[in-house]
Amino acid sequence: MHEELRPDEAARALTEIRQRQEQVIKLAIIPTWYWWAIAGLMVGFSAAIDSHRRLAVGIGTSLFVIGVLTATGWVVIGGLRRAQLRNELLGPIGVLAILGFVATVLAVSLPTAFALQAAGLRYPATLGVLVGAVLMVVGGPLLMRYLRRIMLAKRAGSQR
Amino acid sequence: MIKPRFDELIHAPTRLSIVSLLAATEWTDFKFIRDSVGLSDSALSKQLTTLEEAGYVEIRKGFVGKRPRTSARLNSVGRAAFEQHVAALQEIVARAGASVLPD
Repeated sequence: MHEELRPDEAARALTEIRQRQEQVIKLAIIPTWYWWAIAGLMVGFSAAIDSHRRLAVGIGTSLFVIGVLTATGWVVIGGLRRAQLRNELLGPIGVLAILGFVATVLAVSLPTAFALQAAGLRYPATLGVLVGAVLMVVGGPLLMRYLRRIMLAKRAGSQR
Repeated sequence: MIKPRFDELIHAPTRLSIVSLLAATEWTDFKFIRDSVGLSDSALSKQLTTLEEAGYVEIRKGFVGKRPRTSARLNSVGRAAFEQHVAALQEIVARAGASVLPD
C-alpha cells in the first residue's frame, strides 16, 4: 500500500493528523471568559478588603474563594475529563511563559498598590489589583495564543 | 532522527484519526474519542481493540463515582510507530515537491 500511496493522499493524511492534534490542543487552552471572571473576582475581593467592613470582607472573601474554585475547577476538570494533554507539548518554554505572566501581573499590581497607598489615595489595593486585572484580561488570551503555538510546534510530525 | 516507516494498521482512515488524537495526549476519554471521530461505541471499541492487539494502545477501565469510565492512551511502541508513520507520509510528500504540501 505504501508504494501505491499517492503524494496527495499522503498530504491529506498529514492534514488529518494536524487537525486532530489541533483539536486536542484546543482543549488545553483556557477560555477568554475565565480571565474576565478571575479579574472581576480579584477586583471585587480587593474592594471588599479596602472597605474595612467586616461583613463586606467576609462576603467578598467567600465569593472570591467560591468563584475562583468554581471557575478553575470548571476549566481544569472539564479539560482533564476529556483528554490529558502530554506534558512534553508545553515544555520548559511554556512553563516559563506562564510563570513570567504571573510574575508580570504581580510585579505591576503590587508596586502600584503600594505606591498609591504611599501617595495617600483611597482604595490603593483595589486600584493596584485593577491594573493587574486589566493585564490578565489582555495578556491571558495572548498567553494562551502563544502556548497554543508552542504546543502545535511540538506535536508529532511538525518538524519537517 | 526518526526513521520513516509506513504503518498500514495506523493508516486506515478511522485509526489514523484515533491515533492522531491519542498522540497528543496521555490518557483520553473514550467518549471524547468517540464524539471527536464520530463513531459508535462498538465501532470505536473494535478499533481500539485492534490497536491494543497490535501493542500500540493501552486501555484503562475504571469508575468515577458510580459511573464507568474508559480511557485509552498510546504507549511508547504506538507512539514510535505513529511518529515513523508521519515521517513516512512526509517523505512521500517531500518527494513529490511542494505542490502537495498540506496547509
